[in-house]
Amino acid sequence: MAKREDTRDTTPRRWLNELAKGVRGWLWLASLLGIAAGLLTIVQMGLLAWIVSQVIVEGAGQSQVGWAFLGLVVVLVVRALAQWGQEIAGFEAGVRVRDRVRNGLLDHLARLGPVTLRAYHSGGVAGRLMEQVEALEGYFSRFLIQLRLSVALPVLILGVVAWLDWVAALFLLVSAPLIPLFMALIGMGAERLQQEQFAAVTRLAGHFLDRVRGLTTLQLFNHAKRSIDEVYLAADEYRQRNMRTLRLAFLSSAVLEFFASVAIAAVAIYIGFGLLGYFDFGPSAQLTLFSGLFVLLLAPDFFQPLRTLAQHYHDRAAALGAAEGLMELLAIPPPDASHFQEGRGELCRLREVSVDYPERGRVLGPLSLTLKAGECVVLTGPSGSGKTTLLNVVAGFVAPSEGETQVDRTQSFAWMDQQPFLIQGSLADNLRLAVPEASESSMRHALALAGMADVVESLPQGLYTPLSEGGGGLSGGQAQRLALARVFLSPARLVLLDEPTARLDAVSEAGIIEGLQRLIEEGRAVMIATHHPEVMSLASCVLSLEKGRQVGERVP
Amino acid sequence: MSDKGLKGAVSELRPWLHVLGRRRSRLLLGALLMLGTVASGIGLLGLSGWFITATAITGALLASGAVVGLDVFVPGGGIRFFALSRTATRYFERLYNHDSVLRLLADLRGRLFSILAGLDAHSLRQRRASEWLNRLTADIDTLDSLYLRLLAPPGVALLAIMAVSVLLGWLMPGGWSVGLVLLALWGWSVAGQAYLGYPASQRRVATLDRLRSRTIEHVQGVGELRAFGTLGWHRRDLSNDAQSLYCDQRRLAYRSAFGNALVGLGVGLALLAALWLGIQAYRGGVLSGPLMVLVALVVLALGEALVGLPSAFTHLGATQAAVQRLNALRRSRSRLVEPERPRALPGGALSLRFDEVTLRYPGSPISALDSISLQAEAGERVALLGASGAGKTSIALLAARLLDPQEGAVLLGDIDLRELSLDAVRSHVGYLTQATELFDDSLANNLRLAAPEASEAALWNVLEIVELDAWVAALPRQLETPMGENGRQVSGGQVRRLGLARVLLRDAPLVILDEPFSGLDAPLAARIAQRLDRWLEGRTVLFLAHERSETRTWLPRVKRTYALREGRLVDEASSD
Repeated sequence: MAKREDTRDTTPRRWLNELAKGVRGWLWLASLLGIAAGLLTIVQMGLLAWIVSQVIVEGAGQSQVGWAFLGLVVVLVVRALAQWGQEIAGFEAGVRVRDRVRNGLLDHLARLGPVTLRAYHSGGVAGRLMEQVEALEGYFSRFLIQLRLSVALPVLILGVVAWLDWVAALFLLVSAPLIPLFMALIGMGAERLQQEQFAAVTRLAGHFLDRVRGLTTLQLFNHAKRSIDEVYLAADEYRQRNMRTLRLAFLSSAVLEFFASVAIAAVAIYIGFGLLGYFDFGPSAQLTLFSGLFVLLLAPDFFQPLRTLAQHYHDRAAALGAAEGLMELLAIPPPDASHFQEGRGELCRLREVSVDYPERGRVLGPLSLTLKAGECVVLTGPSGSGKTTLLNVVAGFVAPSEGETQVDRTQSFAWMDQQPFLIQGSLADNLRLAVPEASESSMRHALALAGMADVVESLPQGLYTPLSEGGGGLSGGQAQRLALARVFLSPARLVLLDEPTARLDAVSEAGIIEGLQRLIEEGRAVMIATHHPEVMSLASCVLSLEKGRQVGERVP
Repeated sequence: MSDKGLKGAVSELRPWLHVLGRRRSRLLLGALLMLGTVASGIGLLGLSGWFITATAITGALLASGAVVGLDVFVPGGGIRFFALSRTATRYFERLYNHDSVLRLLADLRGRLFSILAGLDAHSLRQRRASEWLNRLTADIDTLDSLYLRLLAPPGVALLAIMAVSVLLGWLMPGGWSVGLVLLALWGWSVAGQAYLGYPASQRRVATLDRLRSRTIEHVQGVGELRAFGTLGWHRRDLSNDAQSLYCDQRRLAYRSAFGNALVGLGVGLALLAALWLGIQAYRGGVLSGPLMVLVALVVLALGEALVGLPSAFTHLGATQAAVQRLNALRRSRSRLVEPERPRALPGGALSLRFDEVTLRYPGSPISALDSISLQAEAGERVALLGASGAGKTSIALLAARLLDPQEGAVLLGDIDLRELSLDAVRSHVGYLTQATELFDDSLANNLRLAAPEASEAALWNVLEIVELDAWVAALPRQLETPMGENGRQVSGGQVRRLGLARVLLRDAPLVILDEPFSGLDAPLAARIAQRLDRWLEGRTVLFLAHERSETRTWLPRVKRTYALREGRLVDEASSD
């Protein structure tokens, strides 16, 4: 696993800077190419002004300025190459950062485990992994590079203009510092709004996912029409939020445009009056058509890097918003590992373990329990009595608030949730989720134990029949049997099952019980939470729970 | 392939262009503002160049003692005007156009959701929820570029090129040839870049989709994956998906960078051509010096209108892929059709009858149900037993008209469901589905889905029947407790009972209960069954259950029992 990124005492900006260090080379390459393109633009404008001045002032013909035209073609071609290179290098920087962040997040999610994640909307979490990680792109591939260019290029151009006419340079210099000032003021507001907007996007996605998932229920309760309005309202609220952000974002670029336009106009008018000889002070007396035109042509390019930066400003705001969201995710602490100890001898031993949740109070314990190889503990009790929580403690997905658990964590274990988890892919892919290298015959054997052999045989594509999300195409019972087949396929010594036969008919259940019996005889340690009396026949110990406490223990 | 794809792209876009057409005047005004920005930029630079050259020439003449005059105020005023109009049009154009597009998107989202809401159960299950989500969010978002990037800017650029070409042709001989260079550049930015980027940009949408689904899977299945020690295995698949996404993105970035560089080069070359022709015309006495400069600078300023085109059209495939998927949804044939003149249902208890019903899922070789005939008289309780996958759920879906049969008819109160409005069917049927879906909302609102006007007392009443009243009363926020996604903060058995409470709140004359007691322990199930018995008085009931003895005894007072095996009714036994 990659090194854990500590995000608790850092700001989004610092975090982004840290990430930028990892792609320093690419960022510099892109910046240098951008500066080269800028220098070539200066050369281009100089040559253009020279040609015009030669033709008009000196009365030169096309043959006399022909070499300058050829030179310009070369300059244009090289500049195009530099621009291309700048974009490419920027992309490479962005893609590397995204890959690194995505991997770091996945590592962290794995540590958090299912119970911690359960409190977060899985669509929202996945949304962060997709949209927010992708939102980092522009900051690295464009913004950071443009930031350097917007300092370097105006300084270069200002130098050239000052050399040509320092008063014109003064016009540019006066308008330039005002621009970052305004932009900073506006940018600050935009940043906050952008964050709000990110929250809005996440909420919108969550809203939609919720409605889409429960569409059948909405249809059944005649609620679909009302939901259409809700969806429209949610989307319109999203529009209003978006417009608030955009109004500010556009205002910042409008300020910039304004200064750029006014400065160009002022420079043009100053040079025009200078050339007419209206001023008899400063350098204007030395103005020529060449220097005047050169300055005019450079004026837009003086502002261009800043204008481009303003266009990419939302990349920065987006990245900061995304960084905040991602850091929030990275800051969720994984279940406290200090209560977990390596098992010795027994596969699993709990000592005076209890679990408290902030919203619900005590849900389990204090409770002690030992599970040895070849044993089967069955947990019973009314729904909400803590059976599932106990299984989660043994699995290491929930940290006990008190007490101590000893489980051999070096080995994998077989786990089956109440909601059978199925992945997109074939039946075989779903089985290989337990044992990736499983052979076809072992998969068939496991399916037979789960009573799925007939179903699979009847499918034209057999083991390789594709399933959609949530086991679409399978009935509830079949999905559960498929998840059980996974358990039978796994060689894990510890087997934890939550209501494994809730959706099965009596015949299927009897088959499953037989299969589980075989696992116990093989020396596996099995723990099952169930309501079904038939399953209890497997137990070497039945533990009855009520409100998180053990109210009975029966050894059949 | 791309060639055919591009042609197809245009016809696929048609219905959406039609949607845009409905806001024609708004969009046209937006495009006009856009044109105003481009024209102001061209005017500013062109006029400034003209002005400087004119003043230089006049200045030189003045210096040599000639008596000449130059009106400096009109061009000076023009320069200031263009400076201001460029800023103003740009700001309002962007604001106005984004607002138009966001309005459009909100509209489209609502419309799309209404299409989704009309789909039958089978088509809904064919796609993952996350794919539907993408249709609603990402795909529709992609449509914003249709106007903002793919329609308005090239249109405005084309107009600007034509105007500049006319100007150049008028000012100097052969001036229109510069226009041809610009036109070729425009053509490449639009068609050439679209051709270059088409395959990768279209694929990228699918790649992104796959990565998203896989990511959701990774988050949802972290328990199983960690337990079986196969997190790394699933991560590898996920990484592969991410890599193919990066690969497509890289291809697009390289090609779009190529287009951008080419536009920069092309505009530069057109500028040189204009200047070359301008010098020729100047020396031929056709063109004045200031106009020669104006000609060149106008072409330089026009470059701004072409800047965004290559990258927009490189990504055309993405818009088109999104449009294709949305079109598929629009054309979906598995929508439930409402009758034109719906019939009315009588009041009181209703009978339910299946008349030789056969159901086949599209693409499946076997019928899910094979000429099923069954019936429940008004006020009668009927049980339908069968193993998992036998077809019980299909029968319930048909009875609630979430599906239509291929053959035969389902009759409620002796009226074919297809002759009733969907609203009427659904408000007369209370159906407890196999899996209970809770929404990310408060407990009360989750219950009130069934009866929006239900009083708090009514909510407590149904909670009492399912024995959740004490639990809810003990919660700090009681009825206002948020349920979280799929009610994951609540135990499985409690979710089940909430689902039951919700159906009870519905107060429908026909009740379908699919495994009402699954996941509940025996004593609780027995107690709930007893209260349910009272509540079911006078209603027609269809119980769906596995062939389990204890479940069967809990079903209160079943009049008739049907057994279902692999889509066929096997025997019929009456019991009491």
